[in-house]
Amino acid sequence: MSQNRNLTFGQRFLANEWSALAVAIVIGLVTLATLSSAFLTEFNLYVMLRSFCVVLIVAFAQMLTLAVGQMNLSVGALGGLVAIAVGGMMEKWGFPVPVAILCGLAIGAGGGLINGLLTVRTGINGFIITLATASAFTGINLGITESIPFYNLPASFVAFGTGRISALPYLLLPPVLIAIALAFFLARTVPGRQLLAVGGNPQAAELSGIPRDGVIVMAHTLSGLLAGAAAILAVAQLGSAQPSIGVDWLLMSFAAPIIGGAALAGGHISVAATALAVVLIVIIQNGMVLAKVDPYWVQFLLGALILAAVGLNRLRAVRAGGA
Amino acid sequence: MTPSSDSRARPSWLAEQSNLIGLAAIIILFWFLFTSLAPGFVSSFNLFALSRSLAVDIVIGFSTMVVLATGGMNLAIGSIGVCAVMASGYLMQTIGLPIPVAMALALLLGAFLGWLNGFVIVRSGVNSFIITLASASLFLGGMLILSKAQTFNALPPEIAAFGRMRWGGFVSPLLLVALAIGAALVVLFRFTALGREILAAGANPRAAELSGVPVGRAIIIAHTLSGALAASAGLMLVFRLGAAMPSIGQDWLLPSFLAPVLGGTLLAGGFVSVVGTILGALLVTTLRSGLLVMQIGNFWLQLFLGLILLAAVMIDRYRGVYAERRSLGRKTNLGRKESGRRA
Amino acid sequence: MNHRHHGARLRALPLLAAALFGLAGAAHASDNKIALIPGGPHPYFAPWEQAGKDAAKDFGIAAVDFKVPAEWKLNLQTELVESLVTQGYTAFGIFPGDAVGINSTVEELTANNIPSLALAGCAQDPTKVSFCFGTDVYNSAYLGTKALIEALGGKGKIVHLAGLLVDPNTKLRMDAVEKAASETNGAVTVVQHITDTDAQEAADQKINALLGAQKDEIDGLISTAYIPSVVAAKSLRNLGDKRIKLVGIDDDQIVLDAIKDGFAAGTMAQNPYGQGYVGAYALDLLASGTCTVKADAPFVKTPQTERFIDSGTLLISNANAATYKDDLKKITTEIQTSFKDKYLDCK
Repeated sequence: MSQNRNLTFGQRFLANEWSALAVAIVIGLVTLATLSSAFLTEFNLYVMLRSFCVVLIVAFAQMLTLAVGQMNLSVGALGGLVAIAVGGMMEKWGFPVPVAILCGLAIGAGGGLINGLLTVRTGINGFIITLATASAFTGINLGITESIPFYNLPASFVAFGTGRISALPYLLLPPVLIAIALAFFLARTVPGRQLLAVGGNPQAAELSGIPRDGVIVMAHTLSGLLAGAAAILAVAQLGSAQPSIGVDWLLMSFAAPIIGGAALAGGHISVAATALAVVLIVIIQNGMVLAKVDPYWVQFLLGALILAAVGLNRLRAVRAGGA
Repeated sequence: MTPSSDSRARPSWLAEQSNLIGLAAIIILFWFLFTSLAPGFVSSFNLFALSRSLAVDIVIGFSTMVVLATGGMNLAIGSIGVCAVMASGYLMQTIGLPIPVAMALALLLGAFLGWLNGFVIVRSGVNSFIITLASASLFLGGMLILSKAQTFNALPPEIAAFGRMRWGGFVSPLLLVALAIGAALVVLFRFTALGREILAAGANPRAAELSGVPVGRAIIIAHTLSGALAASAGLMLVFRLGAAMPSIGQDWLLPSFLAPVLGGTLLAGGFVSVVGTILGALLVTTLRSGLLVMQIGNFWLQLFLGLILLAAVMIDRYRGVYAERRSLGRKTNLGRKESGRRA
Repeated sequence: MNHRHHGARLRALPLLAAALFGLAGAAHASDNKIALIPGGPHPYFAPWEQAGKDAAKDFGIAAVDFKVPAEWKLNLQTELVESLVTQGYTAFGIFPGDAVGINSTVEELTANNIPSLALAGCAQDPTKVSFCFGTDVYNSAYLGTKALIEALGGKGKIVHLAGLLVDPNTKLRMDAVEKAASETNGAVTVVQHITDTDAQEAADQKINALLGAQKDEIDGLISTAYIPSVVAAKSLRNLGDKRIKLVGIDDDQIVLDAIKDGFAAGTMAQNPYGQGYVGAYALDLLASGTCTVKADAPFVKTPQTERFIDSGTLLISNANAATYKDDLKKITTEIQTSFKDKYLDCK
């Protein structure tokens, strides 16, 4: 630790989790703002902030399982299930909006709890468990809806999805609150610290009396809860409960935390860096539309970005270690 | 075989056989069930369709299995498969190369992309999950950029004719190709030094390294092989469809893990079961076909597949625990530790 | 949602057909089991269910069932077709999950003496489907773009919102949009094709990003897929923008409302009910073995196939928003009554 004081500002900046991301974001913002006058218009900012919301919570959902060295391949499937459950409860059963939302969150947390319990009780790798439950969740979703969306949602709920105060969408409120709550939870509460401790070094954590299994179940449950929250937000954003919600969350859910420096082995996550990674992804997506890039490049660039981020993290780790 | 590989929760020969027998029993049960409930299930039309999709599922399973042997993963097999597919289409339709040459080159491309994965994984020391997650996007994107997502549908007619060919009324030659690949893999893992090196590298990389196994090389070779197998699965679909389409491979992830995991291959590495993978693929194909024929709403199919995978891995797990308890030399919590912390 | 009951509203149609045919309908009662299979779950196909039931009743067919693959994937569709053959279905009306990829399955059906039609969208030649009965995607995109150019007063910058990139039809639609624009000699330019917008989440993200970035630079939007039409109509309404002209496809209530309120210039209607209804009628005749397709039938040639029959397409604008359904019904009846003489050789 004392070594750190001898580092130059530049080195310390480099050693920081989110420095490279911040630089990339600033470069991206400046470039796009100079290239296109439309970039910083109120509506475009609104559009970017709006597409930021769901992705951020999805990224957090994956980040929590990564924190304990697990994975959750069922984020998208669980999200889809919650989305159609909430839509169905509002359209078919006429549940009031808050009740439907609470039930939806409960289903999300319940799905996560199942993932967690199956993982610790059977001792089977979380990858396989969540691959299987993902298939099961998707199956329930398709079985119930036969892939037909629920369209007739309460007006107030849909209005929340499109409403804005100048460039700020209402939709931004839940992710911001969740981010603050998560940061607080991980840094200041006992369960939050236990979560990081278990991810960092499970043996040591177990020796110091932390209930390892309980913490893993908690991480999965919270992950499911967040997947549910993201799904409800997606329903509000789209104005209809689509069974296809969540189908393409998987890549993004891993990309953001990993670009934000999370290690697959666990113990190393950052709310701020993950959020910045999502910002960067959103800016790049927006920039590609703005620059009229051939649609074929979208896939390619996303893969390149993950590799670049991973490479940069390695480089930084080596440099910081060597200094 | 390195002495250290024994310290892993590697199933004993007996446990492996009991797993295979159990799997076979389940498959026979389902065949009996489907045949008696839906006579059309064993019609030659359905058997032919079944044998053909089974062939592809087996090879997809192999492609993941060889990487699981090293304790790694390959999420890019779908993307590698479609790259090989489009390359073969381009070579045959646009360049006009003869079929065997085009196929060989497409397989080489698959092997090369797999090699690239392995090389980057070994050189960077980054988890194979992340590298192949990223390369899946890169390969697919690259393919789309180069091909503009144009289907090649004017392939030589022999291609589609081979895909339609039936042996003995209801067996697709593709299935024999898949089984031949399986036989080659059995030879590789049972009887060659290379196969044993790959398994040793997966069982305990550090110990393998110490005992002189070139772990990096083994991982790169496993990924190269995985790429070539993914390409073969893609090419089998070209035969089946008579066209090279950019949409091939997009839903391989679940089946690629289903077959080897049902068949008893360990995620942690160090152990593979070729026969198990074949049986795993057969179970999945049987269920998919059987549930459809029985008109159990195709919308519920996915749920059944998920539940069956869960049930299968759990049975396997408990049998594993039971075997461990009986074997005094092993610590019961080893398996748990591995599963909790994937490296 | 309204369009889901689209078929129900057209229930008057069979009465009309029955009246025209008199007892003829009951005369060729058959024990054929016909399956109508869309490419995957999509609101467009919802009228097929009712169309199948009506056709079964009007023409005395044992069963005309609407069977949906669980997801929009070719292999799920082919597996479904294979399992239905096993269950004894004798004829298939298929929307190809992939215009090329479906052909190997169709060939197997033909080998087993099971007739099949491409419904709503075509299979790419060479193909063994008896013929393709549906919307000419190239022509529809071309006409839609023409309508948009007209709404723009003959000049401006337009953006094309298209469906799945890996769907060969998407390329045809892109070409059609380019062709219509090129005929203006540069007065209208296609700024961009935005693809893969036929899923709600992707459409929402991409279309809003487009509007956010370029809403002052573009003058018109042409959408050639169902979901981007709905999303674009919704987004323009949110934005309160009536300057940008939109021409969509299909008659989702959201798009129709947008036309009524001036947020969209029009939309290209297709005829899903007619496709299902006439498709089942033709399949029944083919599967019974009484009829074969005429060698010299007056098929239309399209870039995809040489054996195409147009199921009708028309532009819905403010002028005909109230009456277009009657126009479609008329088209369906016309096609059905003259079908046998025009396209089939019957014993």
